[in-house]
Amino acid sequence: MAILETKNLSKSFGALAAVDGVSLAIEAGSLHSIIGPNGAGKTTLFNLLTGTTRPSSGSILFDGRDITGTPAHRVAHLGLARSFQRTNVFPAFSLLDNVWVAAFACAPSWRGILWRRADRYPEVRARALAALEDVGLADKAGKPVREISHGEQRQLELAIALAAAPRVLLLDEPAAGLSPEETRKLVALVRALKGRYTIVLIEHKMDIIMSVSDRISVMHFGSLIAAGTPAEIQRNREVRRAYLGGVAA
Amino acid sequence: MKKENILLLAAVIALPLVLRPAIATEIWIFAIFGLGLNLLLGYTGLLSFGQATFFGSAAYVAGWLLKHYGIGVFLALGTGVFVGAASAALVGYLCVQRSGLYFIMLTFALNQLFYFVAYQWTSVTGGEDGMPGIPRPAFLGIDFRDPLPYYVFVSALFLLSLWIMKRIVESPLGRILQAIRENEVRAEAVGYDAARFKLVAFVIGGAFSGAAGVLYAMLFGIVPLEAIGFVTSGNVVFATLIGGSGSLYGPIIGSFVFIWLSESVSTLWARWPLLLGVAFVIVVLFFRGGVVEAWARFWSWRSSKQKI
Repeated sequence: MAILETKNLSKSFGALAAVDGVSLAIEAGSLHSIIGPNGAGKTTLFNLLTGTTRPSSGSILFDGRDITGTPAHRVAHLGLARSFQRTNVFPAFSLLDNVWVAAFACAPSWRGILWRRADRYPEVRARALAALEDVGLADKAGKPVREISHGEQRQLELAIALAAAPRVLLLDEPAAGLSPEETRKLVALVRALKGRYTIVLIEHKMDIIMSVSDRISVMHFGSLIAAGTPAEIQRNREVRRAYLGGVAA
Repeated sequence: MKKENILLLAAVIALPLVLRPAIATEIWIFAIFGLGLNLLLGYTGLLSFGQATFFGSAAYVAGWLLKHYGIGVFLALGTGVFVGAASAALVGYLCVQRSGLYFIMLTFALNQLFYFVAYQWTSVTGGEDGMPGIPRPAFLGIDFRDPLPYYVFVSALFLLSLWIMKRIVESPLGRILQAIRENEVRAEAVGYDAARFKLVAFVIGGAFSGAAGVLYAMLFGIVPLEAIGFVTSGNVVFATLIGGSGSLYGPIIGSFVFIWLSESVSTLWARWPLLLGVAFVIVVLFFRGGVVEAWARFWSWRSSKQKI
């Protein structure tokens, strides 16, 4: 069953159709990758799914419910969490506070929001620590963001998304700018998360995509040009042409 | 008891001994005003150049009721808090729709709007002459016309305000506001309606400004037109930045420096704003965290020398 679906989703910026009639169905529990050359509209698609930008036309269904045009802060409460391509954290906070803010947002109630001390929410703190544990940063919980490496910041980026206890996780190039060693760690992490969450993954590194994905959709100039299993995509002529600029095959 | 609290209590006790009680009282009033602004400026990252809107509106409304209906001192205070919060809700609702420079200009423009209403509506506000004759009603037989009891009253309210503000900034709300300051896009993405939280910060800041406005009106027995003017809005921003907007205690220190300079030094030297200007330049160039940061750096420098 599809948990997240788009129907004819489009977004234009002036004359540019960044996302053009995309119909996509993400199966619950699967890891669905979206690939495509730079500028294919992958991040714009994520922005549409999470309500950061409003689509020009088309619709988005989450768990059978139409969520088109729902603002970002409400989409987060529905159980759709994202990580960002460029590290997008709270720089002055400790790692724990970064994750705490996300965990509190999706806590069952906001009682005492104005009065109770923020450190007196044991269940929120536990969830925040669990998210840091999931990405392997639990031992650095008290450190400020500026004292951790770029690779660790990418892990933190992921932890913030996890802390919201989402049903669907949208990961926008989690391995961007990582060294081969850090990339290996991150791939292992994504593999560990697979099955616990429905994951939609944008990535450029083909070896990662081919090894972790259940399904792959390929975008080119805003449109979907192919969809299938990793093996099917590898054989697809149109995909090769998109990547190699029309000279291949 | 923590070191800050002991210092504060000492300051509350010592201030009327070394300064005229009216000046000492004004320092704590201005500090309440600064605490409210700092929730916006320091914690939420919103530069409001219109805090006098709430300060002045509260002073006029409560002043009017004090003068013509003889309401009690706590009712006047309650009215001020309410008017401050309500006017901030109105202004804030319009301002949080925009960000950056547009936000600042909106707070400023709406302040001017309120200013000209007060300027024109002479039958109520007295226009340029201000609204004189505001009494300080007695409470339980304590005569607040006496400067010292009024000082005690104001400083107790200041300590209460500080305690409330401390609770707010240490609550989840305080942390969410800081998250919005740090990264609004991410705060939205994890599930916070940034505009609504900014509005809440505005309303709380407005309530503090309103309380300060009423206390100010009762202190001087008049609401001058400047109470709602942009210079007052600028002064509180100025004082908070000099004290240090990154800290809960910054606006208190800023208020002390600002009021003390303007009231004490101004009698000796008419061009005292020059001193403030110099202080401001030093803060912006070298100590972005104001006096609080300068102090912290001085101590870490000293302790590092002692180790060697």
